[in-house]
Amino acid sequence: MKISLNWLGEHLDHGLDAAALCVLLARLGFEVAGRERRGAAFRGVVVGKVLSRDKHPNADKLSVCVVDDGTARWNVVCGAPNVAAGQAVAFARLGAELPGGLKIGKAKLRGVESQGMICSREELGLAKDGEGIWVLDAATAPGRDVASLLGPADDVLDVEIAPNRPDALSHRGLARELAAALGKPLKPLPAAALAAASGAAFPVSVEDAAACPYYSARLIEGVKVGPSPAWLKSRLEAIGLKPINNVVDATNFVLHDVGQPLHAFDADKLAGNRIVVRRAKAGETLLALDHKIYPLAGCLTIADADKSVALAGVMGGEASAVGEKTARILLEGACFAPAEVRRSSQRTRLRSESSYRFERGVDPELAAAASARAAALILQIAGGKAAQACEAAAPGERRPPIQTSAARINAILGTSFSEAEIAGALRPLAAELKAAGGSLEFRAPSWRRDLANAWNLAEEAGRFLGYDRVPYRLAPLAPRAASLTPAECASRRIRARLAALGLCEAYNYDLLSEKALAAARLPSENLPRVANPISEDWAVLRPSLLPGLLRNAQHNLSRGAESVRLFELGKVYARKNGAVEELWRVAGLLLGPAMQARWQPGRAPDAEFADAKAVVEDLLSRAGALSWAGLDAPAAGKTASDPLFHPANSLRALAGATPLATLGWLHPRVARAHDLERAGVVVFDLDLEALAALTRPRVQARSLSPFPPVRRDLALVVREEVPYGDVERLILGAAGEILQAVELFDVYRGKGVEPGGKSFAVRLTFGRADRTLTDVEVGETVNSRVLPALIRSGARPRC
Amino acid sequence: MAPTSRAAWEQAYARVESALRSAGAASAADLPALEETRIRFLGRKGELTELLKALKDLPLEERKALGPKGNALKESFEAAIASRRAELEDAGDAASLKNETVDLTLPALRPPRGRLHPLTVTLREIADIFHRMGYDWAEGPFVEDERHNFSALNFPPDHPARDSQDTFYLEGLPLLLRTHTSTVQIRAMEASRPPIRVVCPGRVFRHEQTDVTHSAVFHQVEGLVVDRGAGFSDLKGHLQTFLEALLGRGTKTRFRPSYFPFVEPSAEVDVKCFLCPGSGCPACKRTGWIEILGAGVVHPKVLEGVGWDPEQWSGFAFGIGVERVAMLLHGVRDLRDFYVNDLRFLNQFDEDLA
Repeated sequence: MKISLNWLGEHLDHGLDAAALCVLLARLGFEVAGRERRGAAFRGVVVGKVLSRDKHPNADKLSVCVVDDGTARWNVVCGAPNVAAGQAVAFARLGAELPGGLKIGKAKLRGVESQGMICSREELGLAKDGEGIWVLDAATAPGRDVASLLGPADDVLDVEIAPNRPDALSHRGLARELAAALGKPLKPLPAAALAAASGAAFPVSVEDAAACPYYSARLIEGVKVGPSPAWLKSRLEAIGLKPINNVVDATNFVLHDVGQPLHAFDADKLAGNRIVVRRAKAGETLLALDHKIYPLAGCLTIADADKSVALAGVMGGEASAVGEKTARILLEGACFAPAEVRRSSQRTRLRSESSYRFERGVDPELAAAASARAAALILQIAGGKAAQACEAAAPGERRPPIQTSAARINAILGTSFSEAEIAGALRPLAAELKAAGGSLEFRAPSWRRDLANAWNLAEEAGRFLGYDRVPYRLAPLAPRAASLTPAECASRRIRARLAALGLCEAYNYDLLSEKALAAARLPSENLPRVANPISEDWAVLRPSLLPGLLRNAQHNLSRGAESVRLFELGKVYARKNGAVEELWRVAGLLLGPAMQARWQPGRAPDAEFADAKAVVEDLLSRAGALSWAGLDAPAAGKTASDPLFHPANSLRALAGATPLATLGWLHPRVARAHDLERAGVVVFDLDLEALAALTRPRVQARSLSPFPPVRRDLALVVREEVPYGDVERLILGAAGEILQAVELFDVYRGKGVEPGGKSFAVRLTFGRADRTLTDVEVGETVNSRVLPALIRSGARPRC
Repeated sequence: MAPTSRAAWEQAYARVESALRSAGAASAADLPALEETRIRFLGRKGELTELLKALKDLPLEERKALGPKGNALKESFEAAIASRRAELEDAGDAASLKNETVDLTLPALRPPRGRLHPLTVTLREIADIFHRMGYDWAEGPFVEDERHNFSALNFPPDHPARDSQDTFYLEGLPLLLRTHTSTVQIRAMEASRPPIRVVCPGRVFRHEQTDVTHSAVFHQVEGLVVDRGAGFSDLKGHLQTFLEALLGRGTKTRFRPSYFPFVEPSAEVDVKCFLCPGSGCPACKRTGWIEILGAGVVHPKVLEGVGWDPEQWSGFAFGIGVERVAMLLHGVRDLRDFYVNDLRFLNQFDEDLA
């Protein structure tokens, strides 16, 4: 809200400059978002007439002008391209002072003396509006002080008023706060003496008294609509309002002066000489003052005998607007229920200074006085005769006083203010305050609807005594071993592991576009959707973290990255039984070489499936033994990310029957849609909730065998289609418990292996905890148990 | 064929001694040659070994006389071997010190190094300070109902206070994306009995156009304490402790009145600008103060709403924006950088993995 300090001065002699006022307002909880200086911040600048303009003899971009300042003629060097003979300009005479302390003296510019300066608006501290000098109306008389063209000097503050303080949404309202803080009295408002000369009545009926507890209609006849007087225009212009005409300006003035929205109708445009406050009828519309048509369905409206003429508390209609020819006006001063006005404003998406105040709550006892004040002002500046107001008023509710005590307020604040201090701070705010014998009775004035309990009063006491007087206290709250959630414990573990494995953490939005889903082959039917998206890009809640990571990979490749290793830990969503299921997951993406070691050939291979497998196995290490299944295996189940994976070159990791993670190549169509066909992307997607649920007993150290292990290497030729996993399982099954580990160390195809076959070289490690194994024992295990089993399955040992 | 008499043994001795002399251990060309010589004489079947073994077949008297002679020969040979070995090793070391250099300026073979997202690190830094002050970590759903996001927090229906919380609503469901982590205050209270001390970090959503300082998705850390006798001064004490832990000892704070429907009295908390000497910079909008927290005393309606008696229990709550803090601490100028995941951006945040 814009506050003019000159205007504020009509309500309170605060004796502060703008800077001090800003500090005080902030201390009271009114943040000042902006500050603007109006009027002249210069001296000695007059209107000058440019008599001639000639090119400077020694400079292409300068000109030499002769300027008449009403008393003499001066030679002036000017650099502006827009200066021309015949213009009226702002001329800084010798000795003039410009904003920032610049003094104008004689100066020689490239050999030509300049006896003053032709100014731009920017040089006068007025505005930054492009290049060139400020060209005034050519009819302005030379010699006139330019400051007099600008109106009075003023400071205008942009003050932020919280939604619970509608009482401060006016100059008087803010002055009231300052008066309380400074202990100074408010100046009385000018008396609104109305000689009720006209007896004309304009009956009012209110059909919904809860929505409109007070309505007054006052007829003013014989007004002469025209421009407002200069003082009024200047007041409105200072706070950024455009003067319209004397009647409308008078209502706007009262709105910003005391905070009461008012409306003036052209009474001759109202049918049936009466006002009805009622619900809009089905299909009823209003052409409002902003020239737009609004459907009124369900809204509270102001109607004449035939039709709605205003949307109550929001805006009047164009058809009954006050215009140049208006002679009879009907002045509305009303109080509307906040929720009523807010609903109307939201339904029509129409907001106004009026609706802004009504939806926050206007002092219910203000309308009558403010209407009288506006009527008196109209009579003063537009003439006419005012009638007695016709009113419809619901019985005013009398709110009970707040019963509390200084001790209670001190307890809420954690302070030890004396009763006198607290009462002293609250008294200027109260309609009535009784403080005696430890108890405190506070009756709030009609404009402070926000004050209802001890907590409200504690805030008021704190505000006026100063939040800085509340001590810093660390109460002896019992020390405790605070807990983390299981999800947070798992998140910390997994983030640390993934970062240690060389992946960078990404943060993507939870919202995706239909397009992004389609590019990732993910169906969108069962997904929760935002009813009011900002844009199509953020319309659907994500079913998987991977579309975001694919986008990130694409972005990084386009910025020249050769290796991308990213992970994200976040939520995914699905609609389930009329609700939304949200689940924590962690996903990752690997692309390009992991190591940066170009100088050593063969050391930096691109990421492959096995790299992602290492990451997933690492994360799942606490799940114990894993089994792997193709995505189409019945045991593998389904996850929302599945369609994004390559159907053949992907696997699901299961612990028992629980699917924990999926990893694999991208589906070729998904890779293509993200320009990643040639990049060799491996992705994984892991169920964080299942992982968090895995509990593991504390590690129990086992004793180490002092006996050396025995190793045997085997080369086994199998058919190309036999997976290594089968071979390993067979060996583990056949060898018995002395086999401690199986390690694949080579896969070979070529000379010595028949076409359509491949050779696995594996190293078997044998050992016992209680004694050294003999060669004989190991040889027997290999030759009579392991090899026969392998041979039976079709493998051939290669020597 | 071992000598069994003194004469024979002494003959053998002379032979070995002469052989030792001609073998010239002291002048062996290299370590293998030296080892070969050593084995020739002192190996299991070496000539000197055999000579010494033969002593045992001699009568005791003679053994006593000849034994020291044999051993002296052995010792002098061993000493010669050891001394030559030392010579050869030194020479070898000198050669390898001279010749075996590698290019140590080649770049390191770096394994890939991951990073935690700066928002993870900042959120955790903030929340962990409170965690160490005894606040339990609490979380809640991102998809919420109107009650937890608004009415239980004393945002009345049809009240303009809701305007500050531009909300994403879900299609066809009476649900929304939470606009603040204050929802978790309510959930934490519903799930327990007083007293309570929780820190609720997490992601929130606002229906806002994204720009340099705004994002439709961002993060907050909320805190709530309810206990007997907790008041505004405790709030000040806790937040001062927190801000000094985050920004350094002696951090100056300022509490200003404000308005949040779920706390009364409400406050906004500023810290003395830590980027300029208080003279004003863009970060503090030239005021010397940086707004960093919203806070206040829990509104009695919030306590009543979860069935706690505001005459017996009182508390305070506060909230802080993670992105804003991360931007201030790391000099990030555009909030959107956090959500693009450009590796050049992420790799800068070389914080230790907490």
